[in-house]
Amino acid sequence: MNVLLKVRNLSFRYPTHTVFSDLSFDACTGEFIALMGANGAGKSTLLDTIAGLRRATSGTVAFDGKSVSDWSANDLAREVSHLPQSIRADLPFSVEQLVLMGRYPHSETWFDSAADRTAARAAMERTSCWEHRSRRFFTLSGGERQRVLLAACLAQDAKVCLFDEPSVFLDVDQQLRCFDLLAEEARDGKLCIAVTHDLNHALSYCSRLWVLADQKLVVDRAIDDARQTPDWLELFSKRLQLGQTPDGKPWIWYR
Amino acid sequence: MSRAEENTGWKVGVCLAVFCIAAFVLPWIGPDSLSWRDTFRSGSLDFYIFLQLRVTRTLLALFAGGALSLGGTLFQAVLRDALATPYTLGVSTGASLGAVTTISFGWRVIWGMPGIWIGALVGAFTVLFLVMAVAATRRRVSAFGLLLTGIAVNSVCSALILLLYSLVGVSRSFSISRWLIGSVDATGFRPVGVFAAIVVATAIFVIAQARSWNLASVDEQWAASRGVAVRSLLVNGYVSGSVLTAGAIALTGPIGFVGLIVPHMVRARLSSDHRILMPCAFLLGGVLLASCDALGRVILSPAEVPAGVILALLGGPYLVWLVRERL
Repeated sequence: MNVLLKVRNLSFRYPTHTVFSDLSFDACTGEFIALMGANGAGKSTLLDTIAGLRRATSGTVAFDGKSVSDWSANDLAREVSHLPQSIRADLPFSVEQLVLMGRYPHSETWFDSAADRTAARAAMERTSCWEHRSRRFFTLSGGERQRVLLAACLAQDAKVCLFDEPSVFLDVDQQLRCFDLLAEEARDGKLCIAVTHDLNHALSYCSRLWVLADQKLVVDRAIDDARQTPDWLELFSKRLQLGQTPDGKPWIWYR
Repeated sequence: MSRAEENTGWKVGVCLAVFCIAAFVLPWIGPDSLSWRDTFRSGSLDFYIFLQLRVTRTLLALFAGGALSLGGTLFQAVLRDALATPYTLGVSTGASLGAVTTISFGWRVIWGMPGIWIGALVGAFTVLFLVMAVAATRRRVSAFGLLLTGIAVNSVCSALILLLYSLVGVSRSFSISRWLIGSVDATGFRPVGVFAAIVVATAIFVIAQARSWNLASVDEQWAASRGVAVRSLLVNGYVSGSVLTAGAIALTGPIGFVGLIVPHMVRARLSSDHRILMPCAFLLGGVLLASCDALGRVILSPAEVPAGVILALLGGPYLVWLVRERL
């Protein structure tokens, strides 16, 4: 596995408070990392800073050994895709138009190429929104909208995929499909980092766990280690217990 | 050719055809009917009326309407606000303040050109640089920063216009009111030609970036994470929108409504894709203003109703109907 992402001494501060400070870590191709933490821990800010959407107060983020500030906007978008936590619901664009926006960094012409349309169609089929392709975005439900945004990220076909709560608004079956998809992307050699609050999804699908608390990355473990020593669960609630389903999968329940 | 390209092609093609038809037909509309034979006889009165008055006036309306409509579309994309117009960011009010200042002080000619034109251009570009300078503090330009600064500049310019209006005499205050209504008057071929060249060049520059505007109109982060250089796009959009607006207002007065109604109409009837929206808004904006001007020439003949009044009277109810239909 190659190191794709290198973060060194990364800090982000507002004038009134520090979100996180002095974070250093590496992440490799093929990893699927769950980024977790309580509300306000700084997960989205960290994801945005890694994506180059927010400027860090100090420290560096590098992809393939090149600092995020040295990438051109277009080249960076080929390297890194980012699913935002939320987006305006009243957009007048059709589903297909929005998904095709994911192809922007790959297109050099004013119109979408045949390759763009093929990639967009494949992404829509994978996220079960092909049948909605002609509908306007504002006519969709929250879950349908989330699948469209996910499709746009998949159509972008970047090496590093950053997802901010990818399964929010999705029904249970779609949540499972969503995490299946992300795990599939990681198996294809991509680095996927997903902010999630679902501990069971994290333990079942991801290969590594990050927990952000008190401005630091307090947990950075392989999922197998996290299953063996569940002391980190206390960071979320003292009522949580780690057990197993009849078929041996980890299952977190509460007292 | 793909479906999207065909779609764009025929929609823009139809709008272009309507624009060309308007350019040929509208000069024939006016209080005095023109004789077909005399119109094409050099030296006749009809030849003079047709070519020097009606044709230049129609061309001015077509390009000014197009500029204001494309300017409105651009500002709506910059601010991601469907209610944004060339007025929202202060450029229009800055141009008005410049023009009103020249009327108030009686500066009819500046540097050999009509004082109102120069005043409007100086006013618009002063506001442009002021808003950019304030909004670009901390080396970051954001739509929110532009909006807040634009609103502040807008209110100061409006107050200064009212101050000048209250200080000047009756005849000048009438001239100010007349100019502020907005109308299309006959001008020579030379200024119309220069104006049309600037508008067309700016429009081509803007429309070439239509794909990026699709992403920017969704969300700044959405666009940035898909490879759009958002900061330079916003600056380009604001400067281009200001050039289009300032030029049009200098020649016609503040007819801002065309920048609101036409983009909405195109979005509702044709497409939200800026590759269709921008060229169609430009072409139909021109047709709408030129048609209102032609109507204003005949509706209360021999008196003339300013195009700005016709546009507001027809456009207001239409916009309400459009909004009700979509809700």
